[in-house]
Amino acid sequence: MDKLPFERPFIKKLSSGMPSKFGIKMESDPITEIDGMQISDLIKEYGSPVFVISEKTQRKIYNEAKRAFTTRYPKVQFAWSYKTNYLDAICKVYHQEGSWAEVVSGFEYDKAIANGVDGKYIIFNGPEKSDADLEKAINNDSLIHIDHFDELYSLMELSDRLKRKPKVAIRINMDTGIYPMWDRFGFNYESGEAWDALNRIMLSKKLDLMGLHTHIGTFILSANAYKVAASKLAELAVSLERKYNHVIKYIDMGGGFASRNTLKGAYLSGMDTAPSFDEYADAISSGLINSQIRPENLPILILETGRALIDDAGYLLGTVIANKRLADGRRSTIMDIGVNVLFTAFWYEHQIAPAQPFSHHTEETAIYGPLCMNIDVIRENMIFPLLKRGDHVVISRIGAYNMTQWMQFIKFRPKIVMIDTSGKAHIIRENETLQIFAEMEDTPDHLKEFKL
Amino acid sequence: MKISENTRLFLHGILNSYSQVFFSVNKVFALVILLVTFFDFFAGISGLFAVIITISIGYGFGFDKHKISKGFYGFNSLLVGLGLGVYFEPGLPFFFILIMASVFTLFISVSLEGIIGKYALPYLSVPFLLGLWTISIATRQFEALGVSQRGIFTLNDLYLIGGNTLVQVYDWWNNLAIPGSIRTYFISLGAILFQFNVLSGIIIALGLLYYSRIGFSLSLIGFYTAYLFYEIIGANLTEVNYSYIGFNYILTSIAIGGFFIIPSRLSYFWTIILIPLVAILTISLNSIFITFQLPIYSLPFNIVVLLFLYVLKFRIKSNTSLREVYIQQNSPEKNLYSFQNDIIRFRHKLKIPFKLPFWGTWFVSQAHDGEHTHKGDWKHAWDFVVGDENGKQFKGEGDYLEDYYCYNKDVLSPADGTVEEIIDGIEDNIIGDIDMVHNWGNTIVIKHTDFLFSKLSHLKPGSIKVNKGDKVQSGQAIAKTGNSGRSPYPHIHFQFQATPYIGSKTIDYPFSYYILADGKNYSLKSFENPRLKDKISNIEVNPVLKNAFHLIPGKKLSFEVNNNGVSEMVKWEVSTDVYNNSFIQCENSGSIAYFESDGNLLYFKHFEGNRSSLLYYFFLGAFKIQMGFYQDMSLKDQYPLNLLFKRSSLFLHDFIAPFFSYLKADYFVNYEFLDNILSPSSVILKSNVKTYLFGVNQNQIEFRLKLNTAGIGEFEFFFKNRKIKAKCLN
Repeated sequence: MDKLPFERPFIKKLSSGMPSKFGIKMESDPITEIDGMQISDLIKEYGSPVFVISEKTQRKIYNEAKRAFTTRYPKVQFAWSYKTNYLDAICKVYHQEGSWAEVVSGFEYDKAIANGVDGKYIIFNGPEKSDADLEKAINNDSLIHIDHFDELYSLMELSDRLKRKPKVAIRINMDTGIYPMWDRFGFNYESGEAWDALNRIMLSKKLDLMGLHTHIGTFILSANAYKVAASKLAELAVSLERKYNHVIKYIDMGGGFASRNTLKGAYLSGMDTAPSFDEYADAISSGLINSQIRPENLPILILETGRALIDDAGYLLGTVIANKRLADGRRSTIMDIGVNVLFTAFWYEHQIAPAQPFSHHTEETAIYGPLCMNIDVIRENMIFPLLKRGDHVVISRIGAYNMTQWMQFIKFRPKIVMIDTSGKAHIIRENETLQIFAEMEDTPDHLKEFKL
Repeated sequence: MKISENTRLFLHGILNSYSQVFFSVNKVFALVILLVTFFDFFAGISGLFAVIITISIGYGFGFDKHKISKGFYGFNSLLVGLGLGVYFEPGLPFFFILIMASVFTLFISVSLEGIIGKYALPYLSVPFLLGLWTISIATRQFEALGVSQRGIFTLNDLYLIGGNTLVQVYDWWNNLAIPGSIRTYFISLGAILFQFNVLSGIIIALGLLYYSRIGFSLSLIGFYTAYLFYEIIGANLTEVNYSYIGFNYILTSIAIGGFFIIPSRLSYFWTIILIPLVAILTISLNSIFITFQLPIYSLPFNIVVLLFLYVLKFRIKSNTSLREVYIQQNSPEKNLYSFQNDIIRFRHKLKIPFKLPFWGTWFVSQAHDGEHTHKGDWKHAWDFVVGDENGKQFKGEGDYLEDYYCYNKDVLSPADGTVEEIIDGIEDNIIGDIDMVHNWGNTIVIKHTDFLFSKLSHLKPGSIKVNKGDKVQSGQAIAKTGNSGRSPYPHIHFQFQATPYIGSKTIDYPFSYYILADGKNYSLKSFENPRLKDKISNIEVNPVLKNAFHLIPGKKLSFEVNNNGVSEMVKWEVSTDVYNNSFIQCENSGSIAYFESDGNLLYFKHFEGNRSSLLYYFFLGAFKIQMGFYQDMSLKDQYPLNLLFKRSSLFLHDFIAPFFSYLKADYFVNYEFLDNILSPSSVILKSNVKTYLFGVNQNQIEFRLKLNTAGIGEFEFFFKNRKIKAKCLN
């Protein structure tokens, strides 16, 4: 018989007021494998920390979302939100499934083109589009979503100069009964600014108005807000037809669907509060179908869902560096995963699971990253078992935003691995090396030599 | 010289009166018959006169000009005219009698059309029999009419017309050393036109062969069956008195074997059965009629054919191997080829287009003759559910209604109709439970026609958005899927029924169109029943395709055709006829292509006219097109052989066509290119025609259709190193 590991004695406070007599299960089960690949093997092969993407989960969730909408509305099109995760391999999985591309900058636009997306199927959003970007988008017949009047004027000028009719939609912000109301992007519905923009577009005859777009916010936990937004856009579409006899081709409901992560400060877990795709789909399709739009004119419904599609497919694997007792008596565990690679730690209370079986004696623990910075906190406080130096951990639901918003601060960014549907792993992005930085940098001659 | 439409119809009426004697409307055959009638010059004159009189009276009365031009009213008068012309000397009294006889025959024809036409029976040569008998009995009293002796002195007549040469030719033919039975065959053919000689028979036989190979071979089959029968009963058909009525067998054989019935093994079989019956009737009727000194002419043929056609109408099930001709094209070959093609293409063609009652892609969890509940009287029903990529119908454990993908989804009306019956208020079962008391659960029955209803069951309580008596449109959301009644898990139960009650027995009726998905491959199913586990969805109509093929009456299309450097303008117009058949007519060549279109599918049915016209190639290249664009989807179809092969290629094939076909013509179209899903402006379709001889590919024509928002942009086709390009100018 093996010698049992030593567990030091500790005193634990009883928590009360929980939904059942056993309380909420505060500890997570170990995650030992992803799509059949052992965590320990992955770390051994690709280093620690490492991002792992499950292609299987990606496709499964995409189909779940698609099914939720296509069985409720006759014409549905998804457009992959590049900013959520623009790794080529990840984008291409969605493109293979039939998704278009939704980009918010010239850089993303070029990336989508390089990925082989036909310009016609790129939706160009965002407040910053240079004239050069717009010119490219116009020539490719991309769908340009206008954010402000200055952009509208630029497009009119470009239309004259290029002798082409840009295909456009306007982004509209509105009160859908949620707080905070996003009003910094697009034209406001209630103030009449949206009509002002539409009138100018229709009267100028220089732009081809294809659709209407809204994006009511991010991580929206109320499906009903989408119903309000869809009804308002549908009303606008009906009025446009009455006033200008112009039938729009699509209504783009943007994204903002919540994933099942728990937001900081939320009372209940995201698992319980995040609406399902079915609830969002029900709200949006009923908003459109119950509108006065004539059935033969029903626009295509475009969805720019990002987070809710990719979050569950991403994992971040890491290793425990040390355990420490803080001055107030709390325990802290230091891992090699910091906010430099897990940017979303600023918003979410991430679920962290050990990658091997562990002791059931849990304790409130602060989880810190490896950076030499005070802000590098992954979890302020979490019920966590004691792990040893060298033990592995898995943070799940991190597919969205981390691989685009990560920082190169004092450490190289790690590898990203994708496990394909047959269970084979592929590196889809290499880790950074010193050489990469050396290539980008240059030192003036007079600084090259020094003596200490 | 341009002749007026009326004159044209009049001339057609005269010619067709001749060819109608053999059920034909073939002009060449008509001229051959006309020529033969003039072997007895006066009889020929008499026949022609009778036809002209009849048609003129028909016009005067204001009968249907198209029927007159088809020769329907003229051919009986022709026969009466010929019969009288042969027996009487010309003269004023004769022509007076002839006018009377023509009027009388016409009246009988029209009256018979009224009396037996309503049973969809033809009057054949009954008017001729009644007309000729009546006149010939009466004329026994008319002393002013001289009985002709020309029949006896044929050679004298011939000498007068053509001199010695003609007499020698005539003699040579009649004395040809041909076997007795064949001689009788020819004489029998001639006897139809009261020309009892071999030469007439030979000429008619050649005319018949030119008109129809099936008709010609049937004439031989009919004659020789009778010949054998006479051998068996110990009589000899070649004897003179029988040869006068030998045509009864020939006409019966053509009528039953190939004209009123689609030529087939079974029609030939019945011909062989019926000929001895005609022979028996001939003998017995002869014995009766001899007492009145009347020849029986074609009486046995008329009796047997009418009896047989009438009896067939009492069949309850339509039998594909002995099928009556409904659309008479006056040619056994055309009837056969169209029928063979219709069987492949339109077996289940429906008047009302039915769509699937849901949005998106669903699959069939129980089909017709299902293993669970679709049995007995309720076997023609479907259960539809939504499945994920692994075929599972639910997420998680599937313990709750909400776990099922199909639960609480919109249920659509499959076609236009009126809500006939509604049940609501039955609670959804929990998963696994069934409600045996309320078998169908919440249900909507929609009436589409007097005997066609659709029923949608197991709906969610309180979700029904329509009321009894409401009009519903195809594709309108009327309720949500639920789990009420005898339903252990959420699904839509869908069935067609002939009666409006809940619980009515189901009928076998297909969906008009749907798309079957197999991985990334899509195929169009038309007029078919979805099968178990089929992943199916409705056609999503593409606006460019729909607009380009939106051929409404009055639409004009003009093309600039470039044929290897030579350019030409071609103009088409879309219109409809009184029977509501839509067609495109080419103003340059007068060609007509008949088509049908219901917004989901366009298909061509028939083509008449010039086969080198652009319209003919358009008919071939756009033979069948569905209006949804699915990348790389392809459709197949088959052309009727007579619209693709030349007469000469079909000549030998025609003889055996009722039994076996060694020619085939396939159509294939591929959906090749769509420029933009969101706002499509250009679609390219590639189609081709391939002809096969014993399964070996012979010829091929390739087509390329470029469609744009304005309509049909360009139409190109290539064959035998030739390339023809037509550019649409509107």
